[in-house]
Amino acid sequence: MNAPRLSHSAALILKALSLGYCFGLDVMEITGLPSGTVYPALRRLERDELVESKWEPEEEAARSQRPARRYYEVTREGKATALAATQRYPLLAHLVPEKRS
Amino acid sequence: MSQQLSSPLPLFDQNLLRTVEKIVPDGEREEWSRTWQAELWHMHHRSRNGRAQTLAVTADLSIGLACDALWLRTDSWRRALNGTPTLCLASLLGLCLFFTLVALALNGSWHWLRLYLGDQFERSLFAAPLVVFVTFATASRGQIEPGSTNKKLYWLKRQLFFAVKMSLVLLLAFLLSADVCQPIHAPLPNTAELLQIFFFVLLALVSLRWVFHDQEQRCKQCLHSLATPARVGRPSHNLLEWNGTELLCKQGHGLLSVPEMETSWCESSQWVDLTPGWNQTASV
Repeated sequence: MNAPRLSHSAALILKALSLGYCFGLDVMEITGLPSGTVYPALRRLERDELVESKWEPEEEAARSQRPARRYYEVTREGKATALAATQRYPLLAHLVPEKRS
Repeated sequence: MSQQLSSPLPLFDQNLLRTVEKIVPDGEREEWSRTWQAELWHMHHRSRNGRAQTLAVTADLSIGLACDALWLRTDSWRRALNGTPTLCLASLLGLCLFFTLVALALNGSWHWLRLYLGDQFERSLFAAPLVVFVTFATASRGQIEPGSTNKKLYWLKRQLFFAVKMSLVLLLAFLLSADVCQPIHAPLPNTAELLQIFFFVLLALVSLRWVFHDQEQRCKQCLHSLATPARVGRPSHNLLEWNGTELLCKQGHGLLSVPEMETSWCESSQWVDLTPGWNQTASV
């Protein structure tokens, strides 16, 4: 199956997610894209089944007295698309550094 | 949620969330609100831990949550209207309005527009019945086999939709041809008039073919566009068995079988009504 063609900003967001930046705020910070671009793009990527969103466990968040956050994971199809996007936009690989755990 | 937190959201954020959440469709509102409460809380929390909290970040995130809510709303409209006859007619009407505005801009005022379109309209009115006649005469006979959906109300609805769509398409062809020829109307009036009628006939023929094709590929009950085209059979076995494409109504009303080639045993497309239980399967 052919990987869907993404815009540059969508490819950048997908690349950031595939490198471990799983929250919307993290993606905004690392890509430098405005939130008006990042959040609707995350919705589109989720609709196209390139990423899937999950919720952090409530207990874990409650222990640290903070609200549980929605995080995003790249699907298998998303990984293939991210790879194709990196080949299409070679500079993507240099724009986003891998997340240090 | 914020009652359990060490620090609740600022009043501005709470009011913003309450205001913008009205845009979000009902079914997704709770999750959207939960997502953004968490995002805003973490944004403020990060700022307290040393990162510079600027007004720009808050403003940017406010734009983000508004864009996110608008995206959800437009996506719900897209899902609800995709393939519907309403969207089809509204799009055609929108295009007609757009080309009327273009004509107005090209002519400068309503007075000149009325004068310019009045002449062109009379000529196009003579050509239109001929174009319609030619299109009907040359249209594929591969329509639905009669009797498969014999409910009169559905038939009436289909014909009404077809007539309105055809009228809008002819109007669109007229406006487009008039707009294209307007710039040369002042220096070369006779050439412009000839070209206008030529473009009108050409555009009307092409667009009426589309009207026929679109009508054929719609559900005979709800008039939604048919989806999930599937190839059935093998073209190499054409003399031995049926082959073609099957399209399904997303609401589960029926199935359209379109033969790849018109043969003596399968001359036309066939509409098959599905039993009520199918609508759940089709929606999956």
